[in-house]
This record gives sequence, C-alpha cells and structure tokens, in this order.
Amino acid sequence: MDFILAGFIEAIHLLFSGDAQTWSAVAATVNASTGSMAASLVIGIPAGFLLGYFDFPIKRQVRLLVDTALALPTVFIGLMVYAFISQRGPLGSLGLLFTLRGIAIGQTFLALPVVIALSATAVESMDRHLRTLLISLGASRTQLLLSSLWEVRYGVLAAGLTAYGRVMTEVGISMMVGGNIKWHTRTITTAIALETGKGMFATGIALGVVLITIAFGVNVCLSFLRKK
Amino acid sequence: MSDPIYQITNLIHRYNRQPVVEIDRLAIEPATITGLVGPNGSGKSTLLKMMAFIMRPTDGSISFNGKPALPFDEAVRSQVTLLTQEPYLMKRTVFNNITYGLKVRGDRGDWTRQVHAALTLVGLDPERFSRRYWNELSGGEAQRVALAARLVLQPRVLLLDEPTASVDAASSELIRAASLGARGEWGATLVIASHDREWLYEVCDEVIHLFKGKIVGTGRSNMIFGPWSAEHGDRHFKPLGDGKRFIVSPPPQADSTAFIDPGAIRLFARGEATSQTRRILVDGTVTRLSLQKDGGTLYADVRIGALTLVVRVDEAHLAAMTLHRGWPVTLAYRLNDIHWK
Repeated sequence: MDFILAGFIEAIHLLFSGDAQTWSAVAATVNASTGSMAASLVIGIPAGFLLGYFDFPIKRQVRLLVDTALALPTVFIGLMVYAFISQRGPLGSLGLLFTLRGIAIGQTFLALPVVIALSATAVESMDRHLRTLLISLGASRTQLLLSSLWEVRYGVLAAGLTAYGRVMTEVGISMMVGGNIKWHTRTITTAIALETGKGMFATGIALGVVLITIAFGVNVCLSFLRKK
Repeated sequence: MSDPIYQITNLIHRYNRQPVVEIDRLAIEPATITGLVGPNGSGKSTLLKMMAFIMRPTDGSISFNGKPALPFDEAVRSQVTLLTQEPYLMKRTVFNNITYGLKVRGDRGDWTRQVHAALTLVGLDPERFSRRYWNELSGGEAQRVALAARLVLQPRVLLLDEPTASVDAASSELIRAASLGARGEWGATLVIASHDREWLYEVCDEVIHLFKGKIVGTGRSNMIFGPWSAEHGDRHFKPLGDGKRFIVSPPPQADSTAFIDPGAIRLFARGEATSQTRRILVDGTVTRLSLQKDGGTLYADVRIGALTLVVRVDEAHLAAMTLHRGWPVTLAYRLNDIHWK
C-alpha cells in the first residue's frame, strides 16, 4: 500500500514540476485525440442525423452494422489499421505507421460508430411535433434539417463527449499503430502500460491522474447535458 | 369574386392502405372562419395537416389561391400555419421561439416590437415572458406562446387543431380571442377543429361535419353513435339512461352511426305532443338556447338522458310555447328522417 501512496505523491510532483516525459505523453494524447474527434464529428454527426431522421429501405441493417461496430475491440481496430498502413499494406507509401496521424486515423474508426449511433438515437428521440412546428413557421427543407439538428444539439454533444472519452482512454490502437515511441507517439495510456511494466508507478499514477481528470471533466459535461 | 383560398378535389389519404380522409370537393373562401367537427378518428387532424402542407395526400390535390400546392412551396411557406393541440416549443427562450418564423422568412431588423405585440395579443406580459425558457412555462402559457409565434407572421391562413383542448379556461379564452382577432386584424382565414361545437356554431361562418374521413354534412347536425339493440318489430334502440331510449329504424350494422337533421325534430311543451301519430316521442329537458350566427334561427339543446340533441325551433313553436333552460319538452321525429353512415 505504501508504494501506491508514494506513487500519488510522486505523481503530484511530476505534474507540477513539468516533467517533460509526462507532459509529452499528455501532448501526444491530446494531439491524436483532437484529430480523430474532429474527423469523427465532421463525418459522424451528419451520418447519424441522416440515419436517425430519414426512413430508407436498409435502415435497420445499417443501424445494426453501426451498433455492432460499437463493440469492436480497440486492438482489432488497431490491427486492421496497422495492416493497411504498414509497409506491406495498400496505404504503406503514406508513411502513417508509428505516427500520431496514424493513431488519429485508428481512433477515428473507434469514435465514428459512437458518434453515429448516439446521434441517430438523439434524432430518433426528437419530438414528433417538431417537424410540424418548423414547417408551420415557414421553414424550408434545409432550414428544417438544420433546425432539427439544433434542437437535438445536447444529445449530439453528448455523443461527441462519449466518443471523446472512449478515444482518450483506449490503448490498443495507440500501441499497435503508434508503437509507443518516446517523445513521439507515446500517449498517456501506452505510457501507463509501459511505466507500470517497468515498476515506475509514480509516472504511471501521474498519467492516470491526468486521464481520470479528463474523464471526470467529460462526465461532468455529460451530466450537465443529460439534464438538458 | 375571388378564388377560394382552398380548393380541395378528390382528396384521399391512407395510413397502411386504409383511407382516413376521403373528400370529393371542399372550397374555403378567404377571410372566413370554418369549423370542423367530428368524433375522434374522423380525420380532422389529418385534413388540417394536409391543408397546412405538412403532409402530402395519397391522392388528389389541394389548391391554394387558385394554384396546386405542395409542402415547402414558396407560395405556402409563412402563409399557412397550423397550431396543434399539444403545446410544443423549441428549446429556446420565448423571444427566440416567436422570432424563429421571422428569421426563416428573412425578415431583418429589431423584432422586439413585433414580439411584444404578439405576446400582448395572447395575453402574456412581454416584460415577464420574453426571456423565459420553454421549460419555465405552464401548459397554457406554452400554447399561447406557440400561437404568438404564428400570429407574429400574420399568416393568410391560421389552422387550429383543438387549440384549447390541453389548456386551462383562462388560456382557452385568450387563445380563442387572439385567433379570432387575426381575422379582424388582417383578414386571416381560419379553419378550426374543435369538440366545442357551441363555440364553433357561434363564431364560424360554416361548420363542416366529418365522420370516418368524409364530409357528412354542414351546419348543425345530430350524430348518435351505436351500438343499437333490437326491439320488437322493425325497431332498434339505444338506452340513454333515466329509463329513456332513442328509437331508430334497423341500422345497417349494430355499431352504425345515426344522423338526424335538427330541422326534422319537432319540439313541444311536455304533454302537448298527443296529436303526433306516426312520430316517435321522447321527453327531454332544454339545456341551452342559441342563435345561429347571421341568421337569427333559434336552436335548442335538449338533453335526453345521456344524449343531447340539437333542435331547430321554428317561429310558430316559439310563439306557442314558453322556452327556457330547464324547461321540460317532448321531441317528436319520424324514423324516415334518420340517416345512417
């Protein structure tokens, strides 16, 4: 038990003293996750809206695929992305393996089903009177779609935050695609795995504290949005 | 003479292949108030949604201002608006709910004066309500804000689907007054669906009866719902409570609906209908007297057990008897005057 307590004390010291390795991992995490979230939101929100709003022949099947993708293990996504961007893969020439961009691509595949599925759910739970209201007030087709999306904004934001939480805390993609390269692709989660394996509990705990703080912040925001 | 503002031709709408609205022909003149009455499921709401161009009919056409129109057509947007039964507002302030229609229409400038005018029209204090959020309003207040959001657009047509069904009495009065005010202020055409027949008869230029999606009559009418029980001979009846019965000729089906025109029923003071052979007699009590709008014709509502019938009182009867609320009367009608749907 003493080593855990000592780990926490050392963690506070590492964080507030600006330990370079610690903050490098934080920066890599923020870098990769921001890129992946931007891509998944730009693609996922419109896709989720369309899936939730319109009826079309294969809607149920598409929804099933999206919901299934929610359960994909991160190591499997990492494995597939690795296969594509490795030297032997079709995208090997792009030089994405062991880069933050490669990690971001993998994390996009992780976040996308979350954003699509939860956005679609938010749109499906939209009040049926909204369409009547908006058309009654003179909305055009485009205004109807945009205003409907605005009305479910809290649900869509919650979808984004949920995806962000998943992306920040994943290990499999970062490890397989990023390679856990110090100062380069070592993220919070891969660093925790490595440092704990080396017996460096203080660094692992410090990074864990950062991760928990971010996760806590995400959940505070989600809690606020649920009330809306 | 101007074109009707609505011209409906061979209109059919189906849900799961079942027709819910079937109207051969209906014309509504501009700046008039038209009422729609009918039991639940008669197609009133569906008809109003099609007239609001919120949904397309399965077949047939609706012309607006002489031209066929469809949802999202420029000619109908912001010109026709529908207020539904349940109050519903967007997740924003009262001010932003009311100005939404002005924004999508492309109006620019300071909307404060218009919002304040609209809120005043529906009996809400602009200073107190403008900045409130949608979830800080009671049901009656929300419905009034919803109406204000439509009135601010000064639409040519205001469609109201049971506008006061879900609100308190005070809000109900304000909503009715504001709606009628639209006709007075800018000549709006109103089409109102309501279960409050007396209010409709009082304010409407025409009242249309819908039953199972079809127009079955206009003006005042009596609808008596089944089921019917067989009596001796060729008669059937419906028990009305208090030992009273409404006797009819054999219906097409046990649950068919009977219609009888108010003018086909004769009204007598209790005990004075002895000379009425070949007519069915039933005793009742006058509960209300009302004058037809613009006509001067007097109508009496007569309660017979659980049923209330509307009877047209002709001048001869009026001169011959005392008639006021609570007065016991006898109604006389012929079986041949009953029609079935």
